[in-house]
Amino acid sequence: MRNARKLAVSGAAIVATAVVFLIPFAFILVNAMKDEQQAARLDFALPTTFRIWENLVEVVTTRNWMLLKAFLNSAILTVGSVTLLVIVSAMVGFVLQRRKTRWNGLINFLILAGLMMPPAVVPTIWLLQSLGLFATLHGLILIEVAYHMSFCILLYRAFIATIPRELDEAAIIDGAKPLDVFFRVVLPLLWPVTVTNIVVQTVSIFNDFTNPLYYAPGASNATVQLTLYNFVSQFDTAYNLLFMNILLITIPPLVVFLFFNRQIVAGMTAGAVKG
Amino acid sequence: MAGLLLKNLRKSYAQTQVIKGADLKIEHGEFVVFVGPSGCGKSTLLRMIAGLEEITGGELWIGDKLCNDAEPRERGIAMVFQNYALYPHMTVYENVGFGLKLAKTPEQVRDQMIREAARTLQMEHLLERKPSQLSGGQRQRVAIGRAIVRKPEVFLFDEPLSNLDAALRVDMRMELEKLHSALGATMIYVTHDQVEAMTLADRIVVLNAGVVQQVGTPLDLYYHPANRFVAGFIGMPKMNFLEVTAHAVEDGRVTVGGKDFATLTVQGHFGTIKVGESLTLGVRPHALRLDSAGPLAGRVQVIERMGHETNVSIELPSGGTCLAVLEGNPPIERGERLALAFQPDEAILFDANGDALNAPPVRRVQ
Repeated sequence: MRNARKLAVSGAAIVATAVVFLIPFAFILVNAMKDEQQAARLDFALPTTFRIWENLVEVVTTRNWMLLKAFLNSAILTVGSVTLLVIVSAMVGFVLQRRKTRWNGLINFLILAGLMMPPAVVPTIWLLQSLGLFATLHGLILIEVAYHMSFCILLYRAFIATIPRELDEAAIIDGAKPLDVFFRVVLPLLWPVTVTNIVVQTVSIFNDFTNPLYYAPGASNATVQLTLYNFVSQFDTAYNLLFMNILLITIPPLVVFLFFNRQIVAGMTAGAVKG
Repeated sequence: MAGLLLKNLRKSYAQTQVIKGADLKIEHGEFVVFVGPSGCGKSTLLRMIAGLEEITGGELWIGDKLCNDAEPRERGIAMVFQNYALYPHMTVYENVGFGLKLAKTPEQVRDQMIREAARTLQMEHLLERKPSQLSGGQRQRVAIGRAIVRKPEVFLFDEPLSNLDAALRVDMRMELEKLHSALGATMIYVTHDQVEAMTLADRIVVLNAGVVQQVGTPLDLYYHPANRFVAGFIGMPKMNFLEVTAHAVEDGRVTVGGKDFATLTVQGHFGTIKVGESLTLGVRPHALRLDSAGPLAGRVQVIERMGHETNVSIELPSGGTCLAVLEGNPPIERGERLALAFQPDEAILFDANGDALNAPPVRRVQ
């Protein structure tokens, strides 16, 4: 009797989750295949004419193949930001955790402030302009790194605390210089938290709409999120093309997550951080 | 291989001095053990030699090089840690060869050296495993292998056997002795276990509260402790201490009286003792034997029968206890009245500062 009730509750939870997560996706999928008129009704009816290929071609070729350039920009932005984030945050977390100085309190405060304070957009734009980084992809990479660094540092610092200090000392005795200790001994042991950071930050940065909008305007700098604007205007929205665009730009983060999902599990269960 | 010289070595953390002027000369090839209770500074002293702690004052010489500010990799030392500190993401082969790889040793030479170290420690079959797949004893071998492969001047061991079970500890102790004989290397070993110290050391350094109490061979420390601390620390079970007063002082003999007995004569060569001076009488449990007329008498509290010997604890009239180790299996019961005696030259007298006033002869088996 108890097992049946547990099963019923689990079943209800799965159904509820499916409704919340899968139904919107199904909606997008169905409407991406319709023509403009039928899509404008915004309902769940199956397409009367299937225009998958035509919608796909139109989305990709809009504004001189802007979507392809946008994919490239998004890829550069995401890969560049995440790489910098992982390396720099891990280094900062390592030094903060291992070296106790009187500056640690102030640095901890600044990191927490970075997490809590909202970004000041206009002063940041002025700063980027004075540095000649406004409306550039590398400027945007630095913005993404700055905005996400606090979270990454906190994750890394907490995880490094679980690595025994004796491993560092053994490496030093073996002849390792500080960078050797970090890259050859500590960083490999941080794989689980590195994977977590990669997945979380990739999805967050790839899906970021506002930062590219504010800090890297211009058609040549557009990321995939901004291409959605191609199909939305004040008076006329081509919903079928909009949904097809959403479908296309959902695929990369989905692939990353599906791929790294196994890595996260493997990283957690491998477990051998204890020396 | 090199010897070491510590000249008035000091270490302070802010205002607290934890090592208070250590002077020590270690010869090349010697096996020296630092021993003492928890918090005495033995690990700190070892880490200062390794370069993992800064030296606040004094000089550290390794060979003919002043190493106060030298990086650990420049000191020619290798260390084995209590928790092994093996790199979990590397195989045994990579763990052992890590130092050589950092030193950019050619791959073929490196391979040869790793396999030679593995052969010495009988762990060739473990080379492709990761540390998580090894037992405690195997991990300890790998940690030792990582140290010996670099052929350092000095080996440092920081309580390497503490995490092993009792039986394995005895086996590994013998392995370490064999290793020392085979390599002829200078080894400095830290432990809180005085049995390890007594069995492994050429010389023992006894530390207490950051001060070197005595340096000597194991038998030296056992028979000729410099002070009450060393006398109580070395030797198991612990030495019995009785507060006494000097009644009569003659050349080669002192008569003392105490709360638990009228008078007792102790023989030996003493320093200056004044009549009426408060002293401490120390006598080892193994020196006591059953004697119905013996001066130390009381009720039996605890009997521990070990098979080949029996530990007996008696309650003295003053409320103190006296522990004796008697041979074999004597027919004594709890609550029984027992009297113990010892040879007059087997006791040690300590003055009010705790310094030993005499040195009993070293007993040799005939």
